Amino acid sequence: MNITDLKIGEKATITKVKASEPIKGRLYAMGITKGNTIRLLDHTLKKQTWEVDVEGTRVALRDEEARAVEVER
Amino acid sequence: MKKIKAVMVGQPNVGKSSIINAISNARLHVGNFAGVTVEKKEVEVRKGEYEIDIVDLPGIYSLHAYTPEEQVTKRYLLEESYDVIINVVDANVLQRNLVFTLQLLDMRKKTILVVNMVDEVEEKGGHIDANKLSELLDIPVILTSAKEKRGVEEILDQVIHIYHQPKCGCKIYYNEKIEEEIERLAKILLKSPHFSDYDQARFYVIRLLEKDEDIYRIVHDLPIFLELHEALGEAIRRLQLEFDVEDVRDLFAEERHALAKSIVMQVMRLPQKESLTDKIDKILIHPVFGLPIFLFFMWGLFQLTFEIGSLPVDYLDQTITNFANWLKGILPPGDFNSVITDGVIPAVGAVIMFLPNILILFLGINLLEQTGYMARAAFLLDGFLKKFGLQGKAFIPLVSGFGCTVPAYMAARTLKNPKDRLITMLILGFMNCSARLPVYVLLISAFFATHSAGNVLFAIYIGGAILGLFVAKILRMVLFKGEPEPFVMEMPPYRFPSLKALAMELWIKSKLFIKKAGTFIAGAAMIIWFLSSYPHHPKLEQNYQQRIEQVQDAKIKEQLQNELAAKKLELSYLGQFGKMIEPVFAPLGFDWRLSVATISGLAAKEVVVSTLATLYAVGAGNEHSSTLVQKLREYVDFKTAVALIVIIMIYSPCVAAMSTFYAEVPQWAWRTFYTIYPNVLAWLMAFSVYHVLALLGF
Ligand SMILES: Nc1nc2c(ncn2[C@@H]2O[C@H](COP(=O)(O)OP(=O)(O)O)[C@@H](O)[C@H]2O)c(=O)[nH]1
Ligand SMILES: [Mg+2]
Repeated sequence: MNITDLKIGEKATITKVKASEPIKGRLYAMGITKGNTIRLLDHTLKKQTWEVDVEGTRVALRDEEARAVEVER
Repeated sequence: MKKIKAVMVGQPNVGKSSIINAISNARLHVGNFAGVTVEKKEVEVRKGEYEIDIVDLPGIYSLHAYTPEEQVTKRYLLEESYDVIINVVDANVLQRNLVFTLQLLDMRKKTILVVNMVDEVEEKGGHIDANKLSELLDIPVILTSAKEKRGVEEILDQVIHIYHQPKCGCKIYYNEKIEEEIERLAKILLKSPHFSDYDQARFYVIRLLEKDEDIYRIVHDLPIFLELHEALGEAIRRLQLEFDVEDVRDLFAEERHALAKSIVMQVMRLPQKESLTDKIDKILIHPVFGLPIFLFFMWGLFQLTFEIGSLPVDYLDQTITNFANWLKGILPPGDFNSVITDGVIPAVGAVIMFLPNILILFLGINLLEQTGYMARAAFLLDGFLKKFGLQGKAFIPLVSGFGCTVPAYMAARTLKNPKDRLITMLILGFMNCSARLPVYVLLISAFFATHSAGNVLFAIYIGGAILGLFVAKILRMVLFKGEPEPFVMEMPPYRFPSLKALAMELWIKSKLFIKKAGTFIAGAAMIIWFLSSYPHHPKLEQNYQQRIEQVQDAKIKEQLQNELAAKKLELSYLGQFGKMIEPVFAPLGFDWRLSVATISGLAAKEVVVSTLATLYAVGAGNEHSSTLVQKLREYVDFKTAVALIVIIMIYSPCVAAMSTFYAEVPQWAWRTFYTIYPNVLAWLMAFSVYHVLALLGF
């Protein structure tokens, strides 16, 4: 499962980041790496943009990037 | 006096600039980094017998540089010479920040760690053990709050202290297996006469293992490159096998994250509770209400700009007129008197009058940025902007475009994909810059009822933005067929804006604006005055003067005087030029005056107002006759005025903006396209609007 499968407010642990460079590097820099805890905060009406909290940092992602982050409850 | 050079490095929004502002008795210099238009702030401060020079480098998330600003910082760190690194981190997100700190520590330069925003952590009931942190990283650690000016002076003491240390103590090591490979490779690198320092070789090897192209380029020309390249390949293969990873970069990322996590666990206590930001975000980026709230904020901003901003205008107008009249009385009569009191003062005055409007708009945009709402707006708008081939981050240059097109072009640098960036830049001109505001305000007050003025202005701004989006869509479909750049953006916490920073920013903006009015616009006004006053026609003047003397009726006298003024203008150089280009603008209902004013707007948009002032105010010798507004109502009809508004909305921005675009975009094909297409589009749109209005009976 990935971020988009979470419910708003739900927490999970990141298991894998499938994106390619340079997006992967950017996700890492924001703290989106294997082992960190992620919480889904919000999404826009049409679920095109997602907001998550990773260890205290809030990050906005597009659908494509959100799907690339695999998580585990 | 000993000189110490320090660089201040950290992730965006950690408070680097605030710390620099909080250092007392410092001299600030603002400039650019060599060769690029990224702002460089530098302070010099004296401490005892030392002169400490601190450079504020642009925010950088990782040495894996992504944006042009990050590239500037990385290059500075790698290539320039300096004595001390001041690494600033945000205490609230210490773990994420430490990952970057660990990358920096790979350099093994003399580094001190500044943990800023401790006030926020303490307010939440958290605590950071600075001694323990210092022990774990083996570098000096200072807890600071730029907001409360806590610990800021201690930074200088620590800079001096570490300057005298032989070298960085740094004892951060990665997994044994990784260190083994690093050592093996570093030894190869040290065979080259270019390397004598083991620490530097170690750093280069780590960067090479992380596939850093900048470092690759440096070692590429070394004689030992072949040997190194082969050994590097083998090392990478061994590490991938050993740790079961696809990419060694992941390995380093995981190592650093694990280290950062364990360090934070040992030194920091931070209770997790719902923050204020969580609560505010529940409302402001609500899936349903978020967008209407955003639109309401924007609408409010433009209402304020117009309503409050226009309050002091009459007063300013009166003051400037009185000043010009007073000066006319004391200066000796003649050309000099005329160029100052008829040319320069009214022209500069016409522009200065709009300073209140412009300042309110700038204040609003600044406020959006400082509070953190700007990122929310980008979040809300990404889905929407994506439809037009843009992305949420393009919102930031687009909104800056409402302030001034020049910084907006520069702000477009945050878009990394060249196509996204180019499309955004090509439509930035449609975001009405604040310099156009005076022109709109003038035309609106002349041709629309006062109660609808705010709405008309709002419609102009929204209309420009919508047009820009459609053009973006067309450009994306016709010129580029590629997916837009991915979107990953930090959403900073909401913060109460710093009034000092807001005031400072406004002060700088006003100063720049007044300087522009005093030099560029005054110069343009002088040229236009000259072109509209020469050549003289003594015969014509004599002829009219005689007729004026002959008639008794004051009304006819006045009429003749205005007629003379109009004739003189028509025969002047400016009139001749206007006549020459009149055919181009004639289908829009423009006379030569409007044509000249439109062209003059290419120098700077405010100049349109001052040109109109010069062209229509000439001959208005008698007091009760007119302000510019009345003159316009007299000479220009409604549909022509609307056509002029449309032209101003769409055609090329000012010379300053155009040269910025040229500086940012090297390809001649794009420069040419950029120079031509808005003008053609503007003419076509104005033509349609003019004729539709004519059909409707205006
Ligand atoms: N509470 C608090 N806010 C701070 C502190 N330092 C900076 N800020 C705020 O953090 C935001 C970012 O600061 P800025 O200096 O622009 O960060 P920079 O991007 O690193 O230069 C601004 O809104 C500052 O007012 C601090 O020590 N405490
Ligand atoms: Mg800054």
